[in-house]
Amino acid sequence: MSRPRRDPRAERDNRTVESRGRTRLDFGRRETLPVSGRMRRDPWREWAASLAGETDGERKRYDRSQRQMNRAEAVRFARARETLDATDISPGQPALRVIDEPAFLVFAVVETAGGRLSRFDRQVLGAARLLADAGDGGGAVVAVAPESVEGLGEAGADRLLHLPRAATQRGRTAALKAAVDRLAPRHVLLAEEGDGADCARRLSVALGEPLFANVEHLTARQAVRAIRNRGAEIGLAPPRLMTLGEDRAKPYEAVPCEAREIEGGPATAPADPAILSVEIVPGDPAKLSLSETDFVVSAGNGVSDFAAFRDLAAAMKGTPGASRVVCDAGLMPRTAQVGASGTVLAADCYLALGISGAPQHLQGIAGCEHVIAVNTDLHAAMIERAGLAIVQDAQLVMPALLKLLQERET
Amino acid sequence: MKTVVLLSDARNPVSGRAQLSRLEAQAIGLAAELDESPQGLHVGPGEEGVSAGLGHGLCGLDVIEAPEGEDPLPALAAFLATSLKSDEPPALVLCGRRGEGGLDTGLVPYLLAEALGLPILADAVALRPGEASDTLVVDQAMAKGARRRVTIRLPAIVTVHPLAPPPLPFAFGRMRRGEIRRHAADVSEVPVDVDAGERPHRARPKLMRTAGTASGGANLHVGPDPEEAARLILAYLEDNGIRRYGQG
Ligand SMILES: Cc1cc2nc3c(=O)[nH]c(=O)nc-3n(C[C@H](O)[C@H](O)[C@H](O)COP(=O)(O)OP(=O)(O)OC[C@H]3O[C@@H](n4cnc5c(N)ncnc54)[C@H](O)[C@@H]3O)c2cc1C
Repeated sequence: MSRPRRDPRAERDNRTVESRGRTRLDFGRRETLPVSGRMRRDPWREWAASLAGETDGERKRYDRSQRQMNRAEAVRFARARETLDATDISPGQPALRVIDEPAFLVFAVVETAGGRLSRFDRQVLGAARLLADAGDGGGAVVAVAPESVEGLGEAGADRLLHLPRAATQRGRTAALKAAVDRLAPRHVLLAEEGDGADCARRLSVALGEPLFANVEHLTARQAVRAIRNRGAEIGLAPPRLMTLGEDRAKPYEAVPCEAREIEGGPATAPADPAILSVEIVPGDPAKLSLSETDFVVSAGNGVSDFAAFRDLAAAMKGTPGASRVVCDAGLMPRTAQVGASGTVLAADCYLALGISGAPQHLQGIAGCEHVIAVNTDLHAAMIERAGLAIVQDAQLVMPALLKLLQERET
Repeated sequence: MKTVVLLSDARNPVSGRAQLSRLEAQAIGLAAELDESPQGLHVGPGEEGVSAGLGHGLCGLDVIEAPEGEDPLPALAAFLATSLKSDEPPALVLCGRRGEGGLDTGLVPYLLAEALGLPILADAVALRPGEASDTLVVDQAMAKGARRRVTIRLPAIVTVHPLAPPPLPFAFGRMRRGEIRRHAADVSEVPVDVDAGERPHRARPKLMRTAGTASGGANLHVGPDPEEAARLILAYLEDNGIRRYGQG
């Protein structure tokens, strides 16, 4: 096997850079892969990445303790040092995934209710990522959102397209259709829930394109949906317009993408002449059923002052819940029981006051993304499960929380 | 106000027999609050399943007889277009969210709205007449118990959400008394394009909703002051976007 001969002089010229009036050599730059085809560690870049700060402009301070850059830091790094092309800090640990010239686009329409990405939004973005990487890949995911929200890049969006928040669904669809006409995406994905489902059907009619609704199984090669009241199913190569069922696609978890903003959305959405007024009536968390709410404040055997607990739940705008012991004792209604023999929650957040975390109870909160535990026992299972664990007497924390909330209100 | 409820050719998923879809029964309940004699409209091979709608509160039922598997849209659109031009035009057309026995895409109300040039609203849980005549106030279900209250100019098409009030109880006598009017359809011979590759449904598991312990136990505070603990809890809630306090 013959290898091309190295030309040291040419390489040297190639690496020469002018800096502060002196000629320097940049050994960090590599135009081509090494002949072996394997990626090499790049110590220069690693050092550059672990630069924590410069004191007085001359003494450099490095943080070499964290060899694995976590994703948030990698994104920050990529933003802070634009001169360094942040594709590879070190093989296997790229900082930011950049698709400069996408071969095609995949639209993921996200609701971003309350100014953040919901779990379902992430799943839609994950499914779009899957389609964009299908086949030869090279596609870019365009998150179509009314506003820029945090975490779009981490959720797999290469681009962000602003669509004005329209008062009516018809206006929103018209704006979306204009964007689809302009950018001609290969796929358009929406969530089969609420406004997303409505918008998908309006779009399907406006574009005159069939809708593949409520996809249950999605791979790069086929999309499957149930028909005949779930008696049969059909599978096709992923069509253009789809809505995704909830909990049917994995959210994206690899290297963050850049979520760069692009032009192309119309500035205003047209109004709907048939709609005379629109008003949002917020749900009252105290009256919601446990299975419908997004935030549960729950009391266990460690809570003795239930009047204060009810006040706290109301002040925190959460739905009150309880463990079985409390419901058995008649301190809270049976409908408030959380757990295997009570309600299995679909909430985002769970605040557990004085609950030990028995397996039957933990089953009920398996789907909660955020758990906060207040317990006197450091070794309680709930403390282990929690994202924020506080080892303290719940009887003392409740009045403190109430007081703090009252201060905030005024 | 004159209300028409569209009844689909729903099938029981196990036996395959025709039945009344629950959501359409709920729609009949909503219609009965607005109109003392709500009417049903069905396109399909017969009234076997949908006649139960009479027992749930419909006063009359129009059945347009069309062979099984035929696209109901042209017949529906033609029938509604003529009744919209009649002396007593329907003000409101109610439907379910999607079929339960066909292709189940939920596109029919939207295509119908397009064909008739009517506005459409989705996911209604409550309906009441608006203050001005020819208007309707629709409460739309949204996530987390919120409702969107929309006032819409009639005539309009509205689809119903499963959180709407439960259907009226079934009464056999009402079903026997209800009037069924049969119409012949101009058979268009255009069957719905059933996609090739239809196969028995396989139940696929949904994703587990397990939460990643994102903070990895680093967020453990042993014996903080109660005030400090309260501050930590509120900060955690606000950082994760669960609630905002002190902003109304
Ligand atoms: C078949 C079966 C089904 C069940 N189903 C359910 C179910 O659906 N839901 C359910 O909840 N349970 C269920 N249980 C019961 C479950 O096993 C536990 O008994 C129950 O969850 C315990 O409730 P707890 O954590 O409130 O009480 P405990 O286990 O008594 O825990 C109290 C906790 O509070 C702490 N504590 C005490 N004082 C304070 C204080 N001042 N401040 C802060 N913390 C304090 C303690 O350290 C302890 O960790 C079921 C049991 C069985 C057998």
